[in-house]
Parts: sequence; structure tokens; C-alpha cells
Amino acid sequence: MILFAKIQNQILSYLRYMKGILLIFTLTLGFCFLSQADRKHTPAGMLSLGGRTTVSLFNDHENEMTGTGVGGQFRLRFSDAVNTDWFFDYITSDILNYAHRTDYHIGWSVLFYPINNLDYFRQKEEFKPKFRPYILAGHCFDYSKIEAKASPLDGPMSAERWSSAVQAGLGTHLELSPRFDISLTGQYMIHLGNHIETDYDFTTGALSFNEHKGASLAGHVLVTLSLNYKIAKLWGFTRR
Amino acid sequence: MGIHQKITGLFLLVSTLIYSQERPSYFQPSLLRASATIAPTRFYTQQTTVALINGFVEYALENRISVRGEANIMAPNGKLLYTNSPEKFPRNFISIYAGFGYHLGKRNWKFDIHAEPGIAISEMAQQPFLIVPVSYQWGVSPSYMLKVGTSFYFSKYCHFFAEINYSNGWIRKTPLTSVSIAQYGISAGLGFHLLTKKN
Repeated sequence: MILFAKIQNQILSYLRYMKGILLIFTLTLGFCFLSQADRKHTPAGMLSLGGRTTVSLFNDHENEMTGTGVGGQFRLRFSDAVNTDWFFDYITSDILNYAHRTDYHIGWSVLFYPINNLDYFRQKEEFKPKFRPYILAGHCFDYSKIEAKASPLDGPMSAERWSSAVQAGLGTHLELSPRFDISLTGQYMIHLGNHIETDYDFTTGALSFNEHKGASLAGHVLVTLSLNYKIAKLWGFTRR
Repeated sequence: MGIHQKITGLFLLVSTLIYSQERPSYFQPSLLRASATIAPTRFYTQQTTVALINGFVEYALENRISVRGEANIMAPNGKLLYTNSPEKFPRNFISIYAGFGYHLGKRNWKFDIHAEPGIAISEMAQQPFLIVPVSYQWGVSPSYMLKVGTSFYFSKYCHFFAEINYSNGWIRKTPLTSVSIAQYGISAGLGFHLLTKKN
């Protein structure tokens, strides 16, 4: 019963939190569709598929070192100025040499192209590679697991948690062909919710995990390099 | 006729055969190519050289862009040169990558650049020192591969390729410090290709 009440509380707190995000997302979509009403050649509806490599820096966790990750994403464009990334990342990092951490991120980001109206971005007869900078913000769910390096005799020692996070940052596409681009993004991700702390005694080598409930603003910088290819146009075909 | 004249004559004959005919460009969108070879690879932070069995499949999406998937498997008893302690190097090692390629050059001689995110699957000893019997554990680590190379498409179905690759990652599931799998390697050989769509 206690477990059931805990799960119920967790779900209710997530729903309260998600209401705000859904509202922002709906408003963003509304603006996207309004802004493309008078355009003839719109990139809206373009679906891209890609792979990505991520480096996690400046982790808030004590003694956590730079992490490396791999993942995939699809990108769905809503208008000339607004795009969205839907991603999955698998990131591992060391906590000095006494534990290691694994993070799974699954989430989405809205990409806004602030200088998309410049003449530089107009479609020319002959394609030329170009940079397209953007601002991004979004949300993700994450699962983290911290495992001790040296297992005690009674089995592996670990702690895990589910939480939610928000992220924001800057990036740029390098469009090498009309359908292919390389994107570099730098963003800060703040984890909201429970967090795990490790206590390590350097004299005795004793390691313990402590789980703290409630919101904490632990975060990290993520630098992501992704390769994307446009595979389909789902809507918004050129009008006659 | 001396040996020098014979070699010069052979070069002239080969170059005439290659360049005298107006060959079609075999590298086109929809070209599917694949190969498998042995790739000597140096794990330079571990001072270890191994023989990896490398296989790849690549599909040309555009004149310059391709999508590619490849895998490397450490050959059984594949350690060629080994100067480190065995507990610090994986007993088994497999890496899988998928990414894109960019191809420069005209007609049938291409210079290729590839960037491929991926994973490394490795089996590591779980005791910090050699204890018998040793227990092992598999782990999956994020990794990436960067590759430059060249390919020469000399017929409708075959090409030669030569590539140099660099990849990096960390095996975290270890009893002590994590193990770096930073490596560089070479692969070369005969590849096979096929145009999957008619122009």
C-alpha cells in the first residue's frame, strides 16, 4: 500500500509538471502553423533521421568525470523557423575510479532558427553548403544507474533513479547537401526530481549510496554532434 | 630488354587499359557496396595490437552522401602484439557503427570521409588481479569512429578500397580504472558493389 501511494504521488507530481510543458508545446505548434500560412515553399513536414555522439561535461555529481554517449534521433520540422528533435541517448561516465554511472535520456527539443529570414538562407538555383544556427529548449525523461566498480562478495552494489529534466542551448546545422546536415549543439540539462549521492571514504575504501527525494537543480553540459538525413516530407507539399 | 624497361612497359600498359576507355561512373546514387577484410588495429593506450575482422555495407544516397553500417570483431587469438596485463584488456571485443559518408572526387576514384557513432561490446575480467578462476562480464560502451579512405571503382561490380580509421570509447564495467578503447587501424581490400536502381 505504501509503495502504491508512493507511485501515485510520483505520477501526480509528474502530471502537474507535464501540464506546463504541454501548454508550451501546444502554443509553439500553434505559432508554427500560423507562421507558415503565407509561404509557398515551406520545409514544414520534413522528417529527418540521424545518429549522434554526446559528451557530458561539468557534471554536478561529486567526482563525476566527463561522460561519453551515443544515440539516435529523428527530426520533424513544423515551419520555416521551427524544428523539433526527438532523441535517445545512452551516456556513461566515471565517478573517479570507485563507481561508474549510466544515463539513458529520451526526450524532445524545439529548435528555433532566429535568423532564418536573412537572404543567406534563401533557396538558390544551385545548392551551396551553409550554416544554420538555432536556439533550442526541451524536455526529457531520464534513467540513471550508479554502480560500484569493485563488487562486494554479496553481489554488485548499485543505485538507480527515474527523473525528468529540461534542457536549453545553442547549436548550428552545417547543411552539406539539400538533404544532409551535420549539427553541433551545446546545451545545459537540469535534472528535476530525485537524485543519488555517493559517499566514498578514501581511507577505508567504503562506498555508500544515498537517495534524496524532491527537486534538486543538478545538471550537466551536453555537447552533441549529430548526422541527419531527410527521409520524407509528411505534409506541407508545395502549393500550385 | 632490361627489368626497368619491362616495369615501365607494364605501367604504360596498365595505365592505357585504365584510362583509354571511356568508362561510366560506377559510383552513383543507389549504389550498394559491401566488403569484409582483416583490419590490423592498434589500441594505443593499451599498447596492444589486434587483428579485427571488419565488415561493412554502404549505400549511396546522393552523388556525395552515403549511409554506412559496419562491424568489427576481434579475431580469436587475435592479439598480434601484446605488452600489457591480460586483466586490463577485453577477452572479447565487438564494435558496431552506423553513420554517414561524404565522397569527393570525380568519376570512379573517390576520397571518402566517414563519421559513425556506435557501440563497443566487450567482455572484461572482473578481478583486479589475476585470480583463478577469473570471472568475466560483458558490457556495452558508447563509441564513435572516424574514417578516411579512398576507393577505386574499376568494374561494374568490383572496387578496391583502403581506409584508415580512428575510434574511441571507454569500457566502464571494470574492477579498477576504466579501460580506454582508443584505437587506430587500417583496412584495405577488394569490395563488391551493385547499382540497385536503373537511371
